[in-house]
Amino acid sequence: MPPAFQLEQVSYDYEGIPAIQELSLSIEHGERVALVGANGSGKSTLLRILDGLYFATVGSVRFDGEILTAERLRADGFGFAFRRRVALVLQNPDAQLFNPTVFDEVAYAPLQLQWKREDVLRRVTDTLSLMALDALRDRPPYRLSGGEKKRVALASVLVLDPEVLLLDEPTAALDPRSQGQLIDLIQQWKGTNKTIITATHQLDILEDIADRVIVLDGGRVLASGTPAEILVHQELLLKANLIHAHRHSHGGITHSHAHTHRHSHGAHEHEH
Amino acid sequence: MHIPDGYLSPSTCATLYAGASAGWYASLKRVKRQLSTRAIPLISVLAAFCFVVMMFNLPLPGGTTGHPVGVGLAAIVLGPWGSILAISLSLAIQALFFGDGGITTLGANCFNMAIVGSFVAWAIYKLLAARSDASSKRRPLAAAIAGYVAINASALCAAIEFGIQPMLFHDASGTPLYAPYPLRVAIPAMMIGHLTIAGLAEAAISGGMIAYLQRTDIGLIGGAKTPTAQPLAVAPSTPALRRLWLTVALLMLLTPLGVLAAGTAWGEWSARDFQDPNSRAQITAASSNHQLPATPPSGIEKLSSVWTAPFPGYAPSFVKNSTLGYVLSAMFGVGILLLVSLLTISLARQRQSNKVPPKHRHHFIEQTLSGFAKTFSRALQSEHTAAQSGLMQALDPRVRLVGTFALVLATLLCGRIQTVAALLLLASVLALASRVPARTLLIGVWLVVLGFTGVILLPALFLTPGQPLYVIPALHLTITQQGLRAVLLLFLRVGTTVTLTTSLVLCTPWNHVLKALRSLRVPTEVVTMLAMTHRYIFLLTESANQMFESRQSRTVGPLSSSDTRAMATRTAGVLFSKSLELSQEVYLAMLSRGFAGEVRLLSEFRMRGRDYVATAVLVATAGIVVWIGR
Repeated sequence: MPPAFQLEQVSYDYEGIPAIQELSLSIEHGERVALVGANGSGKSTLLRILDGLYFATVGSVRFDGEILTAERLRADGFGFAFRRRVALVLQNPDAQLFNPTVFDEVAYAPLQLQWKREDVLRRVTDTLSLMALDALRDRPPYRLSGGEKKRVALASVLVLDPEVLLLDEPTAALDPRSQGQLIDLIQQWKGTNKTIITATHQLDILEDIADRVIVLDGGRVLASGTPAEILVHQELLLKANLIHAHRHSHGGITHSHAHTHRHSHGAHEHEH
Repeated sequence: MHIPDGYLSPSTCATLYAGASAGWYASLKRVKRQLSTRAIPLISVLAAFCFVVMMFNLPLPGGTTGHPVGVGLAAIVLGPWGSILAISLSLAIQALFFGDGGITTLGANCFNMAIVGSFVAWAIYKLLAARSDASSKRRPLAAAIAGYVAINASALCAAIEFGIQPMLFHDASGTPLYAPYPLRVAIPAMMIGHLTIAGLAEAAISGGMIAYLQRTDIGLIGGAKTPTAQPLAVAPSTPALRRLWLTVALLMLLTPLGVLAAGTAWGEWSARDFQDPNSRAQITAASSNHQLPATPPSGIEKLSSVWTAPFPGYAPSFVKNSTLGYVLSAMFGVGILLLVSLLTISLARQRQSNKVPPKHRHHFIEQTLSGFAKTFSRALQSEHTAAQSGLMQALDPRVRLVGTFALVLATLLCGRIQTVAALLLLASVLALASRVPARTLLIGVWLVVLGFTGVILLPALFLTPGQPLYVIPALHLTITQQGLRAVLLLFLRVGTTVTLTTSLVLCTPWNHVLKALRSLRVPTEVVTMLAMTHRYIFLLTESANQMFESRQSRTVGPLSSSDTRAMATRTAGVLFSKSLELSQEVYLAMLSRGFAGEVRLLSEFRMRGRDYVATAVLVATAGIVVWIGR
């Protein structure tokens, strides 16, 4: 079975500014991968390439062994199948939610893929109750809280029951409770056949959401490994700008050391 | 300049709907060809942007404020075709969701502002900016002139539409059935307000925003990319401009029509303006600023002859019916009192605010912010009323839409005062049975109609030629029978149509309006764009709100008018860049979920027995009314 995604020497640039550079990568079906990197490291661009929204300027991208190009996606059969199997949740839920009500939002994707009316209604109702959104069914997006918006955004792609989920900063700007709920949801899919690729710069959730971590820097892969391997590698994280050197003093001794914010509460501990 | 229902005859409305439809069709086709699948999110988000910019209250030289329409901006950045769609969408949402501007006159409003405005603005900008460098100083100036001329061209169209009504549509006795003013009155009345207030607001926002984009994101203005753009200042108010303004203000002071035209544009009176004492003060602020000269210049005399022209032919007359005469004098007295008190309030405010400059200077931000807040409260009120169980709510949205339209049309077709009065009663019963709060009806609808339409129509009592009825002793003004009938007719008609459309928009959730439009065969693209525009109006309003609030919190001490204007145009500029970015993201989100250029929507409505009955009843009522009221 070919891997879910196979990227070979992929480069992509925005009007001459390189965003992804000669990147090669393979992601298996059912794998849970986290893409980490500072702002501007190319995470979002990579997700958009994987979702067939941007197309590599150089190199090739394959999904399930099939080459992914604008022309291929325009072919009805392949396009529909790909959109049905691969789903992306954008970082900005306000861009993701463009329909008048929550119900219409969730029904959007199945309608575009020309499902039958009854199937659409049934799936949308199921998805809304799965995501505990029944009560918000007729709400317009501007009457939703930040956490609710993220949940609706997720529901709007889960309705298709996609094989591959691409999540761009899913926990950004969420309160601790909503963040916890979202991580629980991602954890539920562990062991199912879903491939989950999450872009994040939040190191404290890596162990919960990923089996493999890929560190990006300047559009290139800096390192790849299990969350445990990556998280102990302070030098690497410092290089990827994911942590910062922390300068402070203890009883007259001033020193600096690498400092992560893995634990959101409580002081960090170390020895002198 | 949003023409409300009732001012234009059904045939004028139909003609302008046809004209507008041609423009919509052509631009939809062109835009889709140029932008392919990208068009829908781009046009929608930018329509929302225009809508939000329309809420900006710009301080203008002389102490007044004005709202831009945003047509200059839209035409420059989107081209004429995209601009037609964006402005039309934002006008449609004002009519269908906010109840601002009529539903029968939507075609006329779109024709004037979206189509004529877009083409004029674009042509003038192209002509003046010509092949100049993208960073050239000519660009903001060209944009300002383009906006100014475009909005005046739109106003002229509206004035002509108003002005031909009494010529073409009157009954046997010569009573005008729709807008009562002939061209020679309608044109100066419309143009004075637009050549000064509205035109300047449009010029300031178009020119200012182009200057801002030159500094920040020059690629958006087209032309060669020059990254090292010279920072340009927003055009300040030069002494010459100030003198011009002074002259114009004097003209306005001496022209009775000018008093009516100042502050709120002639033909545009909303609940907001009437309830807000600030705006009420604005109505007369321009004219109260300056001292009266000893003798009026000759130009002014010429203008005032416009005002008196209709009278010489009619000999002063006596009152045939003393009771009627008494009522009329009382009505006239109230009108004069209203004007005088507004003038006094404005004078008092002006004095007060001179002592406390910071408060006055922040006025603009506060007004704009309160405009934003009203957008949200309007949405909440609609949500609340729509959730109640009432007569309208029980019917299929399509029936409501068609029924309301039929009744509005019937109101327009009626020429008899009694029949229109009966319709007003029917409309009020419908509204109350649909749980529209009596307070909203009283203050938000009727008081506004009474106040603004009343003040605007007052001169028609004397200006309409016909049988003299009563002469106001001290003023030697003759009220004609035809004038009185025309005023009453239009008054009742506007009251009826506004009551009908208010109940429609308050009782129908926005997504139902959209689905009703869809099942009434409005193209899917249009419905999708309306939905998206509406959705992003709220998001962009929130952004603009935050920007204004953060500026307000950091601003200490007085800001000059030109500083405030510069601030408004900067905010518009930031908002514009944000909007473009957003539209790109929305486009990706649509693609990712299977959008391939063709929009598909779900229609959930099912007509029930009572819906058919209601349709029959409403349409039959409309038919009977028209037949009786002929």
